[in-house]
Amino acid sequence: MNDREWLEKWREYFLAWYDEGRVGEKAEEAAEFSKKYLDGGVVSVSGGKDSMVMLHIVVSGCRRDVPVFHWDHGPALMPREVENEITHNILAVAPSAKIIIKKYSLGNSEKAREDWRPWYREFFSTLRSLGYRHHLLGIRAEESSRREARGRVVRRKHWTEAHPIYHFTWRDVWAYIFKHNIPVPSTYYKYAKLLGWDKVRLVTFFDKEFEKYGTPQLDGVLMWRWRYEFHRA
Amino acid sequence: MQPLEVVFYLKTPLALGSPWIMFDSLLEYVKLREALGEKFFSLPSRAPLKKLDESLEIPLKKWRDIYIASASIFEPSDAGMYVFSYFKRGDFPFPSGRVRRGSGFFKDFYLKVVYTPVQRVRFYATGEPEEVRRLVSKVSSIGKERNIGFGFVKEVEVREVGYEWGLVRGGEAMRPIPVRYLKYYEDAAYMPYKPPYWSGESELCAVPFTRVELLE
Repeated sequence: MNDREWLEKWREYFLAWYDEGRVGEKAEEAAEFSKKYLDGGVVSVSGGKDSMVMLHIVVSGCRRDVPVFHWDHGPALMPREVENEITHNILAVAPSAKIIIKKYSLGNSEKAREDWRPWYREFFSTLRSLGYRHHLLGIRAEESSRREARGRVVRRKHWTEAHPIYHFTWRDVWAYIFKHNIPVPSTYYKYAKLLGWDKVRLVTFFDKEFEKYGTPQLDGVLMWRWRYEFHRA
Repeated sequence: MQPLEVVFYLKTPLALGSPWIMFDSLLEYVKLREALGEKFFSLPSRAPLKKLDESLEIPLKKWRDIYIASASIFEPSDAGMYVFSYFKRGDFPFPSGRVRRGSGFFKDFYLKVVYTPVQRVRFYATGEPEEVRRLVSKVSSIGKERNIGFGFVKEVEVREVGYEWGLVRGGEAMRPIPVRYLKYYEDAAYMPYKPPYWSGESELCAVPFTRVELLE
């Protein structure tokens, strides 16, 4: 079976699941839930499948001109081809949105792959500096027991975190993507073929933070072309 | 120095950390193990290895600063790739008493190993046949995750051949070649082109098995 046939087969499966799993109803509920947090809120979009689904739900079901925050990890962690795809996808789904893109200051260096603590510091201080009261994130309960324990709404010190697609399963997410033709980075399909649709995630590439999950080793084989691409800069 | 064809016959599937295994890095690894003995396994960091690696002489011919040694050719070529997921507890004995397995030194790892069930791995190189034979006879396994049984070598064959395919074969690069050494290249990417390949140094190189034309 070639790649196109493989994808077509799965498309059929997910489209069937869209009806059977009542994904449309779940999406309507997620849109209703999101409305409460859009006043003074921002939709945080990594560009991954979950956040793109959330963005589409918010834009089509709530407000077209919603503020969208996207964090650019920099070339060492996110190849420029993938990053360009992400920004293009965000614009395609939310053309009227106010898009805020902030870039990681160490994202050009090998250090970004070795030590992720500065990333966390800079990322959270950036979120704080944006001054939004609500942050909508594409976190799902099914992803991990820790995420499930966080609940659908989390009160942080400086903002409230809301998770509109908290109850979506991986099937629901892919069904929504195929039903509404939501663009996601093409690396998903490459990884899904090896890992399975349930396990595929968009995370930073060649990142030591994910070494314990074996992700950099997968990247070495599937994304070899981008391992040193940031040296070009 | 003779053109050589080296074939590793495998007992178990081959796990990969990149799409290719480089023949010069295999020989360099064996030389390094010979030079360091047991110390190889207890170095404080990989930093001193780089200097030593660079000073080691391996029995291969060079063109400019590149060894004439190809990247791996997997056979059968349509074996496909698969992922093997497993928990790895570290390669050291657990001490008695309470051990934190969630973080720190004894942290459990959940690994995803990309492997390919190939039967043979073929290389082309130009070097000293006897010394190459001696070195490859010491290679009991190749690739990644050898500690859990991947890439075990059943037999290795070194043949002297009449063609030098370690660098270019029929107009195709057989290994990464810096584009500054090329008149023409079909595809290029930043990658290391000489051992130690793990050092993180890279240069814009022609991608193995794509069309190239060498500068005179």
